Amino acid sequence: MGNLVGLVLVSHSGALAGGLREMIAQIGGDDVPVAVAAGRADGGLGTSERLVAEAIAAAEQGAGVVVLPDLGSAVLTVRALLAEQPQAGIRLVDAPFVEGAVAAAVTAASGADLEAVARAAEEARDVRKF
Amino acid sequence: MYGSSEDPAGQADPAGGAAEAGRYAEDVVLAADLHARPAGALARAAAGYAADVELVAAGRVARASSVLEVMGLGARAGTPVTLRGRGAEAEAAVRALGGLLRAAG
Repeated sequence: MGNLVGLVLVSHSGALAGGLREMIAQIGGDDVPVAVAAGRADGGLGTSERLVAEAIAAAEQGAGVVVLPDLGSAVLTVRALLAEQPQAGIRLVDAPFVEGAVAAAVTAASGADLEAVARAAEEARDVRKF
Repeated sequence: MYGSSEDPAGQADPAGGAAEAGRYAEDVVLAADLHARPAGALARAAAGYAADVELVAAGRVARASSVLEVMGLGARAGTPVTLRGRGAEAEAAVRALGGLLRAAG
């Protein structure tokens, strides 16, 4: 099996993203590279292009990276970064933050490619919780 | 719509080791609640086989490879579940996944 697709959790809150990272490690295993870009660079609530860029670099093992924004301006921050510094193999996905991250992590853990991991995250939107 | 959908009446194969070419089904009783962690383990295991495996529990269907669909079944310990597989490795996949479900969570 080659390198695994990485995940980046972009959140306004470090506590939120950190908790989600912990949860997906429990469900998807420890092998998937997961990096968090949370809060502003000065520590406040918000999102930072620099932190997203660093997280993408940390999660990239050569198989690509799926980027999951929590909501709102997290999307704008990632889009702005990717517009300024276009990179191949980076997929910003439109997915529910928790379910999308869990589905992406489990799919990535099985060695699936970037397209399949992104699809798993986006399909999470259509899966009933109960 | 994905997700643990209703199973149309009669679609569940009569299980208990029923096999034909490329198909295999087995009934198991869950040893533990099908919570997030065991659902994740099941989905990861399912991805390792050239087979599509579904779980049928209380008339609802979930793809074994979808952690979210499996969690969506909300299946508790003691629940009877039918595993039905299609594909070249259907029997191996169903047997392996059945083993996971029979093991204590």
